[in-house]
Amino acid sequence: MKGLLSYYESDSWLHRRNPVLKLLSLGLVVLAATLAYDPWTPLALLLLVVAAELLLGRVPLRAYAGFVLLLTLVGAIGFVSANAFFYTPAEGQPVTVLWRIGSARVTAEGLRMGLTLTLRMLAISMCSVVLVTTTDPTDLVLSLIQQARFPYRLGYGVLVAYRFVPLWQSELETIRAAHRIRGVGENKSLRGRWEQLRRYALPLLASAIRKAERVSVAMDSKAFGALPQRTYYRRLQVGLADWSMLLATGVITVLVLLGLAHFGLLAGFGAVPPA
Amino acid sequence: METRSLAARVEVRGLRVRYARARAHAIDGLSFEVRPGEVLLVLGPSGSGKSTLGLCLAGLIPQSVPARMEGTVLLDGVDAGTLSIGERTARIGMVFQDPEAQFCMLSVEDEVAFGLENMAVPRDQMDGRIERALEAVGLGHRQRERVDRLSGGQKQRLALACALARDPDVLFLDEPTANLDPAARFEFVQLLRELRQTRPDLSVIIVEHVLDDLIDLVDRVLVLTAEGTLLAVGAPRAVLDRRTQELDALGIWLPQVTALAHKLRLAGLRVPDLPLSVSEAAAAFGPLLKVGCILPDGAVPVAPDQPAALDVRNLSARYEHGPEVLHDVGLRVPRGAFCALVGPNAAGKTTLATYLVGIRAPEPGRVHLFDDDITTLSTADLTARVGYVFQNPEHQFVEQRVEDELAYSLRLRDRAPDEIAQIVDGLLRSFGLDACRACSPFGLSQGQKRRLSVATMLAVGQRALVLDEPTFGQDRHTAHALMERLLALQREGVTLLTITHDMQMVADYAESAIVLVGGRVRFAGSAAALFAQHALLEEAALRPPPLHALARLLGVRTADGALPLRMRDWYPCFGVGPGGVVEGGA
Repeated sequence: MKGLLSYYESDSWLHRRNPVLKLLSLGLVVLAATLAYDPWTPLALLLLVVAAELLLGRVPLRAYAGFVLLLTLVGAIGFVSANAFFYTPAEGQPVTVLWRIGSARVTAEGLRMGLTLTLRMLAISMCSVVLVTTTDPTDLVLSLIQQARFPYRLGYGVLVAYRFVPLWQSELETIRAAHRIRGVGENKSLRGRWEQLRRYALPLLASAIRKAERVSVAMDSKAFGALPQRTYYRRLQVGLADWSMLLATGVITVLVLLGLAHFGLLAGFGAVPPA
Repeated sequence: METRSLAARVEVRGLRVRYARARAHAIDGLSFEVRPGEVLLVLGPSGSGKSTLGLCLAGLIPQSVPARMEGTVLLDGVDAGTLSIGERTARIGMVFQDPEAQFCMLSVEDEVAFGLENMAVPRDQMDGRIERALEAVGLGHRQRERVDRLSGGQKQRLALACALARDPDVLFLDEPTANLDPAARFEFVQLLRELRQTRPDLSVIIVEHVLDDLIDLVDRVLVLTAEGTLLAVGAPRAVLDRRTQELDALGIWLPQVTALAHKLRLAGLRVPDLPLSVSEAAAAFGPLLKVGCILPDGAVPVAPDQPAALDVRNLSARYEHGPEVLHDVGLRVPRGAFCALVGPNAAGKTTLATYLVGIRAPEPGRVHLFDDDITTLSTADLTARVGYVFQNPEHQFVEQRVEDELAYSLRLRDRAPDEIAQIVDGLLRSFGLDACRACSPFGLSQGQKRRLSVATMLAVGQRALVLDEPTFGQDRHTAHALMERLLALQREGVTLLTITHDMQMVADYAESAIVLVGGRVRFAGSAAALFAQHALLEEAALRPPPLHALARLLGVRTADGALPLRMRDWYPCFGVGPGGVVEGGA
């Protein structure tokens, strides 16, 4: 599958970490980025996560540059411009107007807010980049089952669905080509789009249901869920290095927050925003 | 009563199965047994309960699939109804037909492990069992490969490995090669042959349509009728010999050489032992051959002076960031020709076809359609000249009723309603779809779907058709009916280019053939000339039909040196006239 973001096969330190502990560590970073109201915290966290991805994950920039660039673009256009123009301050707070274009105005506070939101989104997205690029999807599901008591029937269901995604993508492409041959035009009106969706959905659904039935019979024929207990070929362990990763992430995050607070750059977490 | 038959590994007594909401029984009163190490071939028309039988043996009916089951299944003399589903599935390994829909894991080793994990096999035993199973099917070096990177044939071998790793007593193979090309099918059968040597105790129950490569491996044959009752069970030669008429009526295809022997018997010749394999046939037919027989030239004359319908010059193509798929391809299909496009998997056949019908746009001057550069034609003009029949008919359906499906492109072109009605009626009639004109296209049978997809491509009067494996995954009966229909179209002057793996189809119907290997045209000429090029056939992974091998063994040729590949080509050799009667008295 050639998506925007997918697992990057390698054997780095980050690749070897337990998926659930990795998920928890990244969760800490996401939490910190969410609770901060200033642009500096998400920026610092973003840089740290990128550094971890490069140095500990050994994933080259190009593996996720497209994804990050797309988000940056969305952030820049959506968050920054919207806030720059339409920022309304809290009651009694003054705003600094930078430019006036007709009746519209661009405020410094609005720009800052837009930038903060964009950086926050990037920091959080970068955490998912680390998880996706350095974690084998099978390991992630197995670790959720083995370490987080995720129901295994559901877990294997997720794996089957994941397996079928590229198949359906290529099938959709074939259907589109087949319909073009029939002379079906791509109608841009709302009704036309609805018709088109129906036409694509029917053959896709027919094949999806048929395949799902077959897979489920095939799984049952291998005694899936027939015994009260099952063993695992891949046993995912939680080692000292995994706990250290969680601990180190926590410590570093707190240090970053304390450092920023020391220089008066931190907002949120009950800290007073700089005047 | 403790007098149970110790010899039977599987014993089925009075089995009746009825699916929920079905009117008739899928299996109706079936009794048979399978001994240890025996290979049982199950034959029957579609809908005769062959797959249902497998589901019953493994206990998936009624556990996973809602159906009512009566009668008993004994495994090694023990009533299987008293066993847990875990114990039952541990004894019976299943391989299904669809290579895309029997795996749930992403990597090869995980998939094999999955079946072991479910049986709670201790972790320290898994490595050895996975390795041995993959080794046994020739996938030892692909252990860490992703399942979606395997070819169809490799996927079916993986499915077999999954079953073998669980160390079953019985294998149930449900049309394991139906979706494979002939080379992969042959490989799979070879694997079963090896398995007989390495695991002599393993019983195998196999459902199959194409018997030529398989039949000498089979100990007994079980034939089911369309109603799910037992027609015959016994040694292959006995069943095929005594039940030939009934088998034929059920649409079951005999091995080619067996069918030929049957035809000769009907013509009054004495063939004491019905041959099942090519070597047996050579022995049986040798004495019957007229000495020094040279057959008249059987090939259909190709008309090279006809102007081209499809003309390709110096076409090269590569996928984005990918390797070259087509390299300097040049070919010419004359008007009214029936041409086969053949070659191994990933040779670029489908890619080439997509350039011929405008799905991909070539550079100007590369592809000509009835004398016009394809890049100069409007979409409406293009689709009015050439139709493209996709491998899966469902992909092409855009309407909810069969008649609307046929009228669709006509309505797009604003044809008059009574003209549309006339064309639609004509197509419904000539493609045998009259009875289901108001049905949903998705609810049709496989054969009907295929016929509908061909008919829709002729509605606006297309003079050329490109077909992508029209007989793929179909039983021989529907495949044959479709090819006869195409032949009729050719007689009406429609040009046909068919991608196919089925070499018997090429021999029976196509007059010319183009061989594509690695994106290059390696051969273009008459089908008869292709079959004379043994090295090329080998290189292109094309398995010539059994009559080809028989002709080579017996040294039979036509006047122009070609091999007789159609059954009727052989008649003169035995003094049998075209009507199937021995000439000048026997």
